[in-house]
Amino acid sequence: MSRISIKIDGTPVEVAPGTTILEACLSTGIAVPTLCHLRDVATNASCGVCVVEVKGGRSLARACVTKVIPNMDVQTASPRVMAARKMAVELLLANHPTDCLSCSRNGSCELQSMAERLNVRKVRFPSTRKAVAKDETSPSIIRDNNKCILCGRCVAVCKEMQSVSAIDVAGRGLRTHIGTFMDRGLKHSTCTNCGQCTVVCPTAAIVEKDETDAVFKALQDPSKVVVVQTAPAIRSSIGEAMGMETGALVTGKMVAALRKLGFDRVFDTQFSADLTILEEGTELLERLTKGGTLPMITSCSPGWISFIETFYPKLLAHLSSCKSPQQMFGALAKSYYAEKTGIDPANMVVVSIMPCTAKKFEAQRPEMQSAWKWWKQKGQKGVAPYFDVDYALTTRELARMIKNVGIDFSRLEEQTFDDPLGQSTGAATIFGTTGGVMEAAVRTAYEVATGKPLPNIELTAVRGLEGIKHAELDVGGTRLKVAVAHTLKNARILLDDIAAGKSEYAFIEVMTCPGGCIGGGGQPILPDRKKREARAHSLYVEDRNMPVRKSHENPAIAALYKEFLEKPLSHISHELLHTHYAHRQM
Amino acid sequence: MKKMPNKVDVPSVKSVISKHEGKAGSLLSILEELQENDVHKHLSEEILMQVAQKAGIPLSQVYSVATFYSFFNLKPQGKHTIVVCRGTACHTRGSRALLLESAAQLGFTDFVEEDESALTTPDRKFTLRTVACFGQCALAPVVAVDGTIHSHVTPGKLLKLIQKIQKEESR
Ligand code: SF4
Ligand code: SF4
Ligand code: SF4
Ligand code: FES
Repeated sequence: MSRISIKIDGTPVEVAPGTTILEACLSTGIAVPTLCHLRDVATNASCGVCVVEVKGGRSLARACVTKVIPNMDVQTASPRVMAARKMAVELLLANHPTDCLSCSRNGSCELQSMAERLNVRKVRFPSTRKAVAKDETSPSIIRDNNKCILCGRCVAVCKEMQSVSAIDVAGRGLRTHIGTFMDRGLKHSTCTNCGQCTVVCPTAAIVEKDETDAVFKALQDPSKVVVVQTAPAIRSSIGEAMGMETGALVTGKMVAALRKLGFDRVFDTQFSADLTILEEGTELLERLTKGGTLPMITSCSPGWISFIETFYPKLLAHLSSCKSPQQMFGALAKSYYAEKTGIDPANMVVVSIMPCTAKKFEAQRPEMQSAWKWWKQKGQKGVAPYFDVDYALTTRELARMIKNVGIDFSRLEEQTFDDPLGQSTGAATIFGTTGGVMEAAVRTAYEVATGKPLPNIELTAVRGLEGIKHAELDVGGTRLKVAVAHTLKNARILLDDIAAGKSEYAFIEVMTCPGGCIGGGGQPILPDRKKREARAHSLYVEDRNMPVRKSHENPAIAALYKEFLEKPLSHISHELLHTHYAHRQM
Repeated sequence: MKKMPNKVDVPSVKSVISKHEGKAGSLLSILEELQENDVHKHLSEEILMQVAQKAGIPLSQVYSVATFYSFFNLKPQGKHTIVVCRGTACHTRGSRALLLESAAQLGFTDFVEEDESALTTPDRKFTLRTVACFGQCALAPVVAVDGTIHSHVTPGKLLKLIQKIQKEESR
């Protein structure tokens, strides 16, 4: 199509039709400031910071939503524009608390940096808003409407990306705010704790529930053995959170940092990811041969579990009964590992580092006390119940801890995980990205079912950031159709097909967040497609470099079955590694 | 179980929904009709949940609409409504005194005005409310009692109106 000629600050520019003024400006190197706008997420043009002057127009135009038309003459920095931008920010600041210094987004806040960028040095307007209570009902996420600038990004991700709509704009006039149904709080809403709202919020109005103080306290308590596990996705995002380049692969430095922080054992959730493959793969083969409920759907992603429990309770039988790797790890650390080493499980503190806010919720699900039950069945008496996982920290919280104690992360010498719960394979590494669980499962299921080596270990059909991916596999003469979905909106599409009896798949992988765990709600804030791609790429690189790339070839897993679990889906596996689901009613 | 009065000829939530569904602004019409059908002229949490479920609309969105429009009440309303205009014209002509007088007469002892105040007496006989502006500034100060607009109201006039209703109610 023909291009449109416009003028930006006197310079002729050619752009494609349908381009916004903002995009046109960015393409010529003019960084028009934006506050509410977020590419691919929200465009409800509420803040007015992006205004520009268009010759002949009576009022200023919002660059983020105004499309270019031929011969448009745009001024991006006229005195009128500069004054209007400043005023827009001043109006926001008039109603904003002034506790930047003790705010969790100090240094990463878009409102703060916008005020700095526009050189706002005083606020000429009186406040018109009354302080409101925080929403601290959720185990994962805290909302503080006092810091909300009503940009609408959170509402947009919750609705458009996740199809959850736990929150919306409520009230009117001065009382306009973001709220749940009847303002009952996130815990009593349909919120899945996915945390996608926390990564897009420009301010500290939505943050993860910070548990770093409790973890520091455990680390300082000499009577506790503090064990840490790291999710696959952390190794390609913690470097970024510590100021290195996006997607930096820093497995060894991460291990070193955790030791420096004082964790007694540094283990890997990838160990239990490999275990998940054996349990889940066996479950799938059983369902296929014995006529179980199909398609079977993965169950590693706790936001997804809440989602199906809330919105599709009739389809719960499709979920694999496998716990997530985080929970399998916790249960084994406090049973198998505690018994093997003679550590009192009641004195063990299991901390997980997760890319995810929903993992906090998952760790507190009442059924996640399997190790305690196991010891009780073995005759242990009088011990108060404890959870398998004590604290689930996000990537952002770990970064905070590392900064807190003053570790110079990028200069750390690389170290390796402790044995045996630190041993893993490349298959487990790719769990951190969409399609990874499917690929890992195929690597194992194929070889277990056929007894032959897989011709091509890389299942590229399920890689990449497309919303729903499909593949057809030949497993020893049987053709299997599989699908992979990320974000709950895409999961919903596959579920609707199942509900309508139209699903043609045997196995489905679902991850709650865009790109899978690499785009998780606990990851460094303000992600975009490029960042997700970089993080995912690093995981595939790590997979290639691993000496073992198939879960069933992990020697530590083989030993675990030999010494403890006997075989996949054994009685003890069911006690420690499998779970059940229930209709979640509000 | 206690017999529920007024249930007989009130159309069900479902039938109200199917009447309006598919038309533009249907959620508004649904909520309006349901509030009109309610004895206490309000939308209860229970009703909002039913609307969300039966119409397949997220709860948060139903709540969003119900709290955006000032004509929706989320709290039960009194049998009689007194609405005091707090627009600028009414304010300069003494509507604050009208509001305080009515509050005292209705027994709201520790009344503090907020934007869009709405209070209902415990016996649900009276609701006292303010609006930002009636658009009747020439007649300021204006008070609506049970839907009838009274102009150039004085505290004395208003007290008499309220007392009259109170007397009828106590008979
Ligand atoms: S949200 Fe941003 S502007 Fe507000 S107090 Fe925190 S750092 Fe400061
Ligand atoms: S955590 Fe996820 S589901 Fe909950 S409000 Fe935020 S975006 Fe919505
Ligand atoms: S909570 Fe954050 S993302 Fe949501 S509207 Fe407020 S400022 Fe925007
Ligand atoms: S960025 Fe355009 S209106 Fe906020």
